[in-house]
Amino acid sequence: MHKRISLALGSVCIILLCFTIATVVRMVQSDQQQLPQSAAKKTSQYRLVLITHDLSTPFWDKIGESAKKEALQQGATLEVWGSYGEDQNDFLKQIEIAIDSRMDGIIVQGLDTEAFKEMTKIKAAFYGIPIITVASDVPMNDSMRKTYIGSDPVMAGRTIARQMVKDMGERGTAILIGNDRHEYDQRQRVKGVMEVLQNYPDIQIEYIQTSNQKEKVMAATQDVLNRFPDVNAFISVDANLTSAMVQEIERRSQIAPYYIYSFDDHPDIISLLRKGKLDGVIEQSPETMGKMSVEMMTQWLKGEEIPLNTKGFFTSIRIIQPADVQ
Amino acid sequence: MIGIQRKIWTLTAVVMFIMAVIWITLTYYNQKTQEQYNDILQRYLRMNEVTTASQQLITSLNNYRLTPTEGNLSSLRSREHQLKNVQWSVGMLRNEQNDFALTSYMNLVDSLIEATDRSVMFHSEKETEDSVNAFAEATRISRYISEMTLTLLDKDIHTYEQSYRQMIKQSNEFKQLGVLILLTITFILLLFTYWFSLSITHPIQQLTQAAQELAKGRFDLQVKVNSTDEISFLARMFEHMRININNLILEIQQNAQLESELQRSKLLLKESQLRSLQSQINPHFLFNILDTLSKKAFLEGAEETSDLLVSVAGLLRYNLKRLDRSVTLYNEVSVIQQYMEIQKARFTDRLQLETDIDDSCLHVPIPGLTLQPIIENAIIHAVEPDEHGGTIRVSIQDLGEQVRVEIADDGPGMSQEKVQQILDEYPVENEGHSTGIGFSNVIQRLRLFYGTDDVIEIRSSPGKGTTVILNLPKKGRNTAHDEAANRG
Repeated sequence: MHKRISLALGSVCIILLCFTIATVVRMVQSDQQQLPQSAAKKTSQYRLVLITHDLSTPFWDKIGESAKKEALQQGATLEVWGSYGEDQNDFLKQIEIAIDSRMDGIIVQGLDTEAFKEMTKIKAAFYGIPIITVASDVPMNDSMRKTYIGSDPVMAGRTIARQMVKDMGERGTAILIGNDRHEYDQRQRVKGVMEVLQNYPDIQIEYIQTSNQKEKVMAATQDVLNRFPDVNAFISVDANLTSAMVQEIERRSQIAPYYIYSFDDHPDIISLLRKGKLDGVIEQSPETMGKMSVEMMTQWLKGEEIPLNTKGFFTSIRIIQPADVQ
Repeated sequence: MIGIQRKIWTLTAVVMFIMAVIWITLTYYNQKTQEQYNDILQRYLRMNEVTTASQQLITSLNNYRLTPTEGNLSSLRSREHQLKNVQWSVGMLRNEQNDFALTSYMNLVDSLIEATDRSVMFHSEKETEDSVNAFAEATRISRYISEMTLTLLDKDIHTYEQSYRQMIKQSNEFKQLGVLILLTITFILLLFTYWFSLSITHPIQQLTQAAQELAKGRFDLQVKVNSTDEISFLARMFEHMRININNLILEIQQNAQLESELQRSKLLLKESQLRSLQSQINPHFLFNILDTLSKKAFLEGAEETSDLLVSVAGLLRYNLKRLDRSVTLYNEVSVIQQYMEIQKARFTDRLQLETDIDDSCLHVPIPGLTLQPIIENAIIHAVEPDEHGGTIRVSIQDLGEQVRVEIADDGPGMSQEKVQQILDEYPVENEGHSTGIGFSNVIQRLRLFYGTDDVIEIRSSPGKGTTVILNLPKKGRNTAHDEAANRG
């Protein structure tokens, strides 16, 4: 009797005790991983920021990633800021914040506008913050950038033109589509294309310019198709326009007979290429751009290489065709 | 301290200790959680303060620009100072995740102050346009600061999300733990209380049971209590008492037995007294008849017969009188002379009695009828079987301390074994016509009377006669005499 009662009470006690201890252990363990409040004052040597107006595109993601990786190696901290799509004001605001926050260096996607130039040339220079343009260039005289890292736009233009000639032959009508903002790197690309096509008098070239809106692009495409029914090839010097252009051509006729070329700095491009709607794409090297931009920036900040090559460092380009991405 | 009290104290102390430990732990955890909450709130409050301070700075700047008085300027300066303070305190919130953003944030504040200063400077230098620009810039920066505050808060929430969830989880677990601890303590207390009460009540129960057994009269069961406290002391005392009672009862029983035995022997004694009185009557009547017979014989001229009858009567009287008290050697000697006369009448010349008696030592006390049975014995064994008769020598000598009585015959004697047998008071069959008092009776009485074993010795060997020697001490007769005499 006594033994049974003792046993029952004892076993209940032991079970409860086990639960209690388990809970306590759990609590103590979870307590140990509390708030990572350790004011780790591990301020890195350099605070860098990479600003783009094409945030969250695969192209810029690659640049951002490689830049971050390089920054980590160089002992610098890098953050990727930016705006989405065409919100230039936001983009400029980011640059201003970067300047006002006294970043050690700003790596920025070039934007060939007055506001941008003023921001970099006057304000950044006022605070003595070095600026490197990446992927898209703005001439040094306008922007006071330290250097440019990215593809050589002229070279890219030449390459794409040569590819077109190779595909289409030395006779035909080619249409260049670019946006109407007359951005520096676009002008350079067109310049490259023109350089090559000058040598082929039988190729007729038409350069049309449109604004960025989809409807405008489609309208312009429609217009040019109307005006030149026997067009053979399209070269989109602004990747942002390619998608709408292809869509319009598709709407009017089959896409196969046309030779369509584009640059790669827009998220839709690769999928279009994969579908075979594009015949060739200039592939740039975003990884190298990101890596080199940080490298150059830290070198400049350390004073190892002054002045930087003002012309810029050109990263490799190559043309890829649908077969390459299948 | 005493056992039960100590137990109670121990239990109370343990309970108090457990309570205290739990209370302290709970309080500690509570405090910690509170601190965490405070930290988090403080972070958010501080960040918010920066926004507020920067906005206030812009307002002050605007006021100053509209009405550039000293008062407004000084309020502007104090705002600036305030903003710097807040900036410094925000600097304490640095951690790995927000390091970059926080540096930017603080730099933004610096830029704001700079832009403000610039605006004030330009204003005082009447360069209105630049001042307006600087003011616009300051306003923009202030806006950026607000945005950055949000970013920082966002980052903070992101960084600490895990911790916040942990805290929520922990508080839930805390509740659970509270319930568990309560349950556990309750059961542990129940268990201990049970044991504790058992350790007190169990011995009491045992004791009660033992008491009940005692009450029923079973004094032979041992009182056993498994305990070490006062109860065990009680139990020991109880056991002691039980043993005592048990012993007393045994003693009483023995006494009662003894009593009953005594009663029985008293009865026996009375009976024997009665018998002895009875037996005294018969002989008296007998020797009165003997007297009558002697006178009759005398009157009829048979003088010898008359004398014999007188001797027999005298002997009988002596026999009846003296058996129960001590007499002197003198009495004994006269008795044997009378006895010899009677025996001579029977044996005539065959029986010769030689006496050598020292009269000076006849006062020695001696139990009655001691010598007569020895003489009778000698006649029966030495004279009667022999046709030529025999001689019996009786000598009494003074040896100083003792009186030596020797009774010797010239009969066939006896073996050493027999002598030893007699001396060991072995019952010896009586042959023929003695007074009924056997030889062993004599030895017994002598030994009792004098209190020594060597009062008698027998020298004998086959064919050489037997000598019985009595060594009678002149004084120091034993008190056992009366009893011995009574028994004889």
